Amino acid sequence: MSESVRNEKDNIRRLVLIVDDEQINRRLLGRIIEGEYDVIYAEDGEQALDLIRERQKTLSIILLDLIMPKIDGYELLNIIRDDHELSRIPVIVLTSERTAEVKSLQLGAADFIPKPYDMPEVILARVRRSIELAEDNIMISATETDTLSGLYTKKYFFQHCRRYDRYYPDVPMDAVAFNINRFHLINELNGRSYGDTVIAAVAAQLRRIISESEGIACRCDSDVFLMYIKHCDDYDSILNSITSGLNSAVGNSRIHLRMGVYRNCDKSADVEERFDRANFACNSLRVSYSTSFTIYDDTMRKRAIYAEKLIGDMDAGVANRQFKVYYQPKYNITGDEPVLSSAEALIRWDHPEYGFVHPASFIPLFEKNGLVHKLDQYVWKEVAVQMREWRDKFGITIPVSVNVSRLDIYDPELESMLLGLVKENGLEPYDYILEITESAYTDNSAQMTETVNKLREDGFRIEMDDFGSGYSSLNMLGSLYIDAMKLDMLFIQKMCEDAKGMKMIQLMIDIARFLNIPVVAEGVETQEQYDLLKKAGCDVIQGYYFSKPVPPEEFEKFIEAMIKQH
Amino acid sequence: MLTLENLKEFGANVEEGVTRCLDDEEFYIDLVNSSISDSRIDELEELIAAGDFDKAFEVAHALKGMYGNISLTPLFKPVSEITEKLRRREQGDYSDLLNEAKAQKAKLVGIYNARN
Repeated sequence: MSESVRNEKDNIRRLVLIVDDEQINRRLLGRIIEGEYDVIYAEDGEQALDLIRERQKTLSIILLDLIMPKIDGYELLNIIRDDHELSRIPVIVLTSERTAEVKSLQLGAADFIPKPYDMPEVILARVRRSIELAEDNIMISATETDTLSGLYTKKYFFQHCRRYDRYYPDVPMDAVAFNINRFHLINELNGRSYGDTVIAAVAAQLRRIISESEGIACRCDSDVFLMYIKHCDDYDSILNSITSGLNSAVGNSRIHLRMGVYRNCDKSADVEERFDRANFACNSLRVSYSTSFTIYDDTMRKRAIYAEKLIGDMDAGVANRQFKVYYQPKYNITGDEPVLSSAEALIRWDHPEYGFVHPASFIPLFEKNGLVHKLDQYVWKEVAVQMREWRDKFGITIPVSVNVSRLDIYDPELESMLLGLVKENGLEPYDYILEITESAYTDNSAQMTETVNKLREDGFRIEMDDFGSGYSSLNMLGSLYIDAMKLDMLFIQKMCEDAKGMKMIQLMIDIARFLNIPVVAEGVETQEQYDLLKKAGCDVIQGYYFSKPVPPEEFEKFIEAMIKQH
Repeated sequence: MLTLENLKEFGANVEEGVTRCLDDEEFYIDLVNSSISDSRIDELEELIAAGDFDKAFEVAHALKGMYGNISLTPLFKPVSEITEKLRRREQGDYSDLLNEAKAQKAKLVGIYNARN
């Protein structure tokens, strides 16, 4: 046998154990393979077992006779098969019996060499092949399993799920996703090795569940686990048993899991997609301090698909002018009669597939991924052009407020862009009102203060939007210069419910008085709300009480009425 | 010292035996030599006579493997037949087969002794 063939995989000389009670057979077989392998011998099963245990780390293969005194070959095969460590060593059975071959293979033998022995080349080829297969198998197992949890890795998990489906196409199955609440904090507070202990403890619980319910499990990301098990109804008990097992293992009752279950999976969907659904359900649970689970339902997926579609369609929407700017009038109510003082520009999306889409459906999505910046710029431009058109048509400037998202504040070009817009359209910054939501002020108040102050110096008026919904401190309000305070709509909705609601309104109006700025109430719908707000000293009112947001051509009716009024 | 010629005359499949020994004729002869001192045919006869068929099967099976591997066909044949009968735990008469095995063994020993 040539050296190159002998060591084709590497230069390691592998160790072979020959077990045969017949000395001549041992010598003959040893002669055949010793050119390529290091060989050790045992003349009965007992001696073989001692050698196997002693050399288990280095032994590459066992060539085993079956009929021997003391421990025979079958018994030895059983012992090897049942021992996790030993079972990685392949065994080739030496036999002259056809029936023994079948039984040996059933007991885990990798192959057999018939007696009298084959041609030496054939024997060597069988030995070589069995060693290679076993070593490949170990390599595969190493990548198949996550070392920390002992569970499958994601890639192999999905393969095993598919295989399970092939064998049991009619068994109803559930896809389950878990993660550990605030795992990054557990790691940070207790150290990474404690985090590893938690992962291992969760994995141990999952192994228990899958052994009871005939399932498969994997650890797919740092603290995300997936489980594919036979359909069941009682996930409360499963989650409770995992949690209590976990807590007693790590001695910490403050570790909680979230679990999403896609029950009775649609097997026509890809395996990955099924677990996307389980994950989706899992992630829909708000981070809480208690263990909880939710069952996936299709509306969740539809919502997600809808959201993705909106995100994907935004650019085309801007390019094709599908976004329409609507205007809602704001009335000054400090005099005897309400007077149109300005408007708020609000966006609507005339989507080619979904029709009119409300901003509540897409603004939060676009805020999350930054697209809102582009959309805001589109609106600002539309508004500036519209204001100019009205001024040209009616001879007066109607002030309009536009929304400035928190992301816009961090745009270094914000100031120059807004100034450019008003200048291009011959407007005064004073008439171009900027609404900034209260919560944006708390993100990075230094940057906010600087940007707001610069814009005010340029002449823009700033309205603090949604006042009362964020967490402004009195200290911050004192240091921030704003031109109007716009009460959060929720306060208006609740003001008539009880005395407390009205007291809150009064309190906020008092703060505005202290800051010497007007108060704007939006979302005003009823006469009662109007009367109460007027009585409380509110300055400006916006809402369905006067009008819903309308297209620019409809808004002109309000301008015309105001002109007549004067 | 046995020679390949002697073994061929005895009826051994020398070519097969030597091939199995990676064409090392000396090693093959050495293996055959070491089978000369094996007394398990006598042991086998005793076990059969005593009715210990389990143990007898183990011995016959071992001999069959050994003679097969060194291609001593005249010994392999009767020992194989004995092994198969014992596998079935046949109670019948083993004497012809045993005598044949013993005679072949004696013949081989005779050749061996004549050469030494």
